[in-house]
Amino acid sequence: MKFFSELTKGIIKENPIFVIVLGMCPTLAVSTSVDNALGMGLAATFVLICSNMMISLIKGIVPAQIRIPIYIVVIAAFVSIIDMAMEAYLPDLHKALGIFIPLIVVNCIILGRAEAFASKNNVLNSMADGLGMGLGFTLSLTVVATIREILGNGTWLKMQVLPSTYDPMLVAILAPGAFITLGLLMAVMNIIKEKN
Amino acid sequence: MKLYLKLGFILLVVSVIATGILAYVNSITAPQIEALKQEEAIKSREELIPDSIFEEVEVSPDFSYFIARNKDTEEIQGYTFIASQKGYSSNVKTMAGVSPDFKLMGIKVVEQSETPGLGANCTASAFTDQFQGKTMEDLMADKDGGKIKSLSGATITTRTIASSLKQAIQALQQDVVAKQEVQQ
Repeated sequence: MKFFSELTKGIIKENPIFVIVLGMCPTLAVSTSVDNALGMGLAATFVLICSNMMISLIKGIVPAQIRIPIYIVVIAAFVSIIDMAMEAYLPDLHKALGIFIPLIVVNCIILGRAEAFASKNNVLNSMADGLGMGLGFTLSLTVVATIREILGNGTWLKMQVLPSTYDPMLVAILAPGAFITLGLLMAVMNIIKEKN
Repeated sequence: MKLYLKLGFILLVVSVIATGILAYVNSITAPQIEALKQEEAIKSREELIPDSIFEEVEVSPDFSYFIARNKDTEEIQGYTFIASQKGYSSNVKTMAGVSPDFKLMGIKVVEQSETPGLGANCTASAFTDQFQGKTMEDLMADKDGGKIKSLSGATITTRTIASSLKQAIQALQQDVVAKQEVQQ
């Protein structure tokens, strides 16, 4: 049962964006459209699962004082390998996701989970944690991106959803729009939490 | 003191292992990536100026262009080249085809990692189609008095593409004219 609860906690209870407030930089940067959000979310989920498993495997041999630099080396090496392999063997996928991959290195959700979870738990639970956190990240990004894309461009996943007479609210897809949307969504999450 | 040496040594070992793995992966994937890029460049050239044979002319180590001749008549159809300049967050490489009178026939952004959702929209046809038929004088963002409609939220990317194309066309024209004079 532990496996299942580790998996689901990332989606609402410990949502990485709205509750733990990690990974703000990629959240603000790529939530301009839904397809970007999905691409970033899925790429990060994949890296998160792999790095969590890897960190969990080596947790016994890493000295505590230098664990953070070692995690960073592991994560950065991992991301680079995925980037190169994808570019060489899956060029179409790389074209769609390629711009997000270097951003994953600086995504602190990955380091955060390595430090807070994977370094203290077994491989299976670390995998579940990575998958759950990744899904939570993807979902939250998609929610932010849905609001910003509809308001700022009148489209959802590149499909026109508002009448073409709608004058797009440009601020929504620029940086200030990201902060405003994120702030309002966090407020909503907090209201829901307080009521329960 | 001993502890610090030990920790430093462990970190060194980890880094060396990681570097070794990366170097190995790079040595396998690099030729494959290069081959894919070449293939892509050939395809893009054919899209820009169809039914042609391409002949490469190297002007300088940083700039070369291709002369496109009709497959049957060998008449010059135009030229293609790759223009490159630093944009907002990456080097933006644009492949362009120009007619023999140096008007743009079409462009294709072949490499960029600008901000997703803003500058990265420069690959969309809604943006690139407007370059068709533009001359060197038109190649400036509308904010600077040119005829290129800027991407919303990405004026720097727009400026980069316009000015890199302008410089490349200039270099191309110079070289083509100089070679014509030599022939005469």
